[in-house]
Amino acid sequence: MGEAGAGLSPNSPSEWLVFSAVEKTGRLERGPRDVPPGLRTVRQVRAVLGGRLGTWLLAILAVLVIGLVVVPKVVAGGYGFFVQILAFGVANGAIFALIALGYTMVYGIIELINFAHGDVFTLGAFVSLPLLSAFGLVEGKSSGAGLWFGLLAVFAITMLIIGVLNMLIERVAYRPLRHAPRLAPLITAVGMSFILEGIMYVWRGAFNIHYPDLLPGQRLPIGEGASIGVKDVLVVVVAVVLVGLFSIFIARSRLGKAMRATAQDRDAAALVGIDIDQTISATFFLGAILAAAGGIIFGLYFNSVRFDQGFEAGLIAFTAAVFGGIGNIPGAALGGLIIGLIQAFSNAYFQAAWTDVVIFAILILVLVFRPTGLLGMAVPQK
Amino acid sequence: MSHHRALKASGLIAVAAILSLACGGSSGGGGNGGSKGEIDIGVDLPMSGGEASNGVPTLNGVNFAVKQQNDKGGVKGYTIKVTSLDDAVNGKHDPQKGAQNVQQLLASSKVLAMVGPFNSNVAAAEIPVANRDSLSMISPANTNPCLTKQVSQDFGGCQNYAGYDPGSLRPTGTNNYFRVAGTDDHQGPANADNAYNQLKITKVAVGDDAEAYGKGIAQTFIAQFKKLGGQVVLPLQDFDPNTTNDFRTFLRSAQNAGAQGIYFGGTDSNKACIVRSQMKGIFPDTAPFMGGDGIVTVQCLTDAATAAPGMYGTTATKDADQVPDARATIDAFHKQYTGNIDYGSYTIPGYACAQLIMNAIGKAIDANNGSMPTRKQVLEQLGKTSNFGSVLGPVTFDKNGDNSQQIMSLYKSEAVDSSKKYLETTDNKQVGWIFVSAKDYSTS
Repeated sequence: MGEAGAGLSPNSPSEWLVFSAVEKTGRLERGPRDVPPGLRTVRQVRAVLGGRLGTWLLAILAVLVIGLVVVPKVVAGGYGFFVQILAFGVANGAIFALIALGYTMVYGIIELINFAHGDVFTLGAFVSLPLLSAFGLVEGKSSGAGLWFGLLAVFAITMLIIGVLNMLIERVAYRPLRHAPRLAPLITAVGMSFILEGIMYVWRGAFNIHYPDLLPGQRLPIGEGASIGVKDVLVVVVAVVLVGLFSIFIARSRLGKAMRATAQDRDAAALVGIDIDQTISATFFLGAILAAAGGIIFGLYFNSVRFDQGFEAGLIAFTAAVFGGIGNIPGAALGGLIIGLIQAFSNAYFQAAWTDVVIFAILILVLVFRPTGLLGMAVPQK
Repeated sequence: MSHHRALKASGLIAVAAILSLACGGSSGGGGNGGSKGEIDIGVDLPMSGGEASNGVPTLNGVNFAVKQQNDKGGVKGYTIKVTSLDDAVNGKHDPQKGAQNVQQLLASSKVLAMVGPFNSNVAAAEIPVANRDSLSMISPANTNPCLTKQVSQDFGGCQNYAGYDPGSLRPTGTNNYFRVAGTDDHQGPANADNAYNQLKITKVAVGDDAEAYGKGIAQTFIAQFKKLGGQVVLPLQDFDPNTTNDFRTFLRSAQNAGAQGIYFGGTDSNKACIVRSQMKGIFPDTAPFMGGDGIVTVQCLTDAATAAPGMYGTTATKDADQVPDARATIDAFHKQYTGNIDYGSYTIPGYACAQLIMNAIGKAIDANNGSMPTRKQVLEQLGKTSNFGSVLGPVTFDKNGDNSQQIMSLYKSEAVDSSKKYLETTDNKQVGWIFVSAKDYSTS
């Protein structure tokens, strides 16, 4: 997709972005030849950094930092500790990945940053709470087949409710604005986010709400006296299964194909008979069911939920989506995983206060060297 | 805006202010009162949303003290009235709202002093406003040291610790702010003493919620624990409560470094007690979790879930239940207020604040030959308070406005034993906070 815009013939994605920005704003009316020498140098440097060389530089830098800064600390910390931190990081990353998928899909298909998505995730946890008690799942009392079937039912019902709800949100707040200026749906998305938070606040109050600790508390020995929780493993397994099923669905099913077609070129997709409205609805549905599952997993894993947690979780997940390449589904999963790992390692081996700084410094570096994210963007072509 | 419209607008604002005073204000008690007229005591507390559980029981204490006084004929012939305002916006205490409320109280010449606020950051916004008009403020619950005194340069001084210092809050240079609670700088040491001397712990790890209160008590805990000979195994870790859900990496690091317990400076709403719940599986159940008054709450017991027993929390206040002389007042209160959320930890401190104000008003009336005193006269008398026998025991204010006694109370969370008396218990009466000990830290 970097080869678009034949008249200007840019040769790298970053240069393409610069040119397309100029094209769109129309404010800079100079042609490339009139660019002052300083700016031209900057562009050349950016073009080089954004290319293959940049990726190599980034990879070398990553290896150096990991080798020189992280590895000595890890060695000093010991094997069991390392594996435990790894497990925490992967589990957190898996939850981020579940949320990030919804962001990336919606962005991929209608170029909307769906700010309400983080709150849809929280709502998943909130909606599942009364369902847990309805299915008789009580902390410390439920176990065995009853527990697993109950949980399965709670997952299914919550995902369905949240999926339908997100379709309604799309129908009410985004669809009427599909041809409006870009800012309008962005603001309705922010508004939806506040509305959902407000509803959850009124419903359950401004406190941390205890989420029943239903998952088994046993620990698996991993040698050298170290162990990791069954919980950690379960969270990762469920997330991997969900993301896997979802990727297969997108890759193989008719609807998945329609979604990819709509994402690539909405008009052409409509021409070949794809129902655009239905496809976009389905995208919101699928994004929401993953977020809802993420919400329940979050609750079961951390045993505490709060009405406003979706804002931050959403921000991190959105970051993950951009990290991996917005619109790119494996990219979002990878981005989530990497952010989870950075968080865990930064907290464990360095200062927790620096964790956000580290995450976003890495994000900036990645975007400078690879403006389209780790695995490349996949957004509608114009 | 034309002159005419401006007049109309200001008229509307005045009407709105009067209306809201009339609606927002609640009159304290009935009683016979006196015949010479009315004197108002303003009250500013968070009264709505999640913080109603802080404000409502405190206001009840103020109202009850005023009612008892009015039943005895008021103060020197004047009937005392309570005007109460809410500083919570969307269920959370709000400094700007607090400052507005003080403006509103200042608009009425009958308001001679006020009780409140509940939260230190609200106090920081209110003190300068009240200070310009010599309105006495007395808080039942504020514990940030910088409201009244400088903190040690080891913690960067007050501008660094809180963003304000006593001088910057008092534009006139005269103090108008008092409090019955102790200050946070003693909370950390109180828990450190208990950990090292009573629990016999020598290694801890310390975290905080990256806010002034949490970081402050964590730093003072570390200083005292090291002074006693203990070891803090990890550098102090700050956790942004908005972005952190997972404290297990920190806990695992602490355990790896040999910590026997955790001190966490923070509030329950900033996930302090989620930290406790996540200790399960990493630390043995007997490993203590310690913190300040931000964890001595029912919410904390709920958040800590199955790991709730075994926490140690300090409060910078005297426990009214431990003061024998307060017994009669508490019993009388319960006869009149029967709801189960009517009484709280700050009901009796609220009562004491009202007592102190009414005492100062009485003396000011005397000094004014029996006529209605000014705010300034009340402030002068309040500043002179010495050995006044309040419901919580004798109160003397030092020149900063602090209580000369700095009582720190220590509480422990444990599974409820129905034969014992608890400060607070969870709704299902499974776990509760129980008083352990109290000590005066004013000389240390």
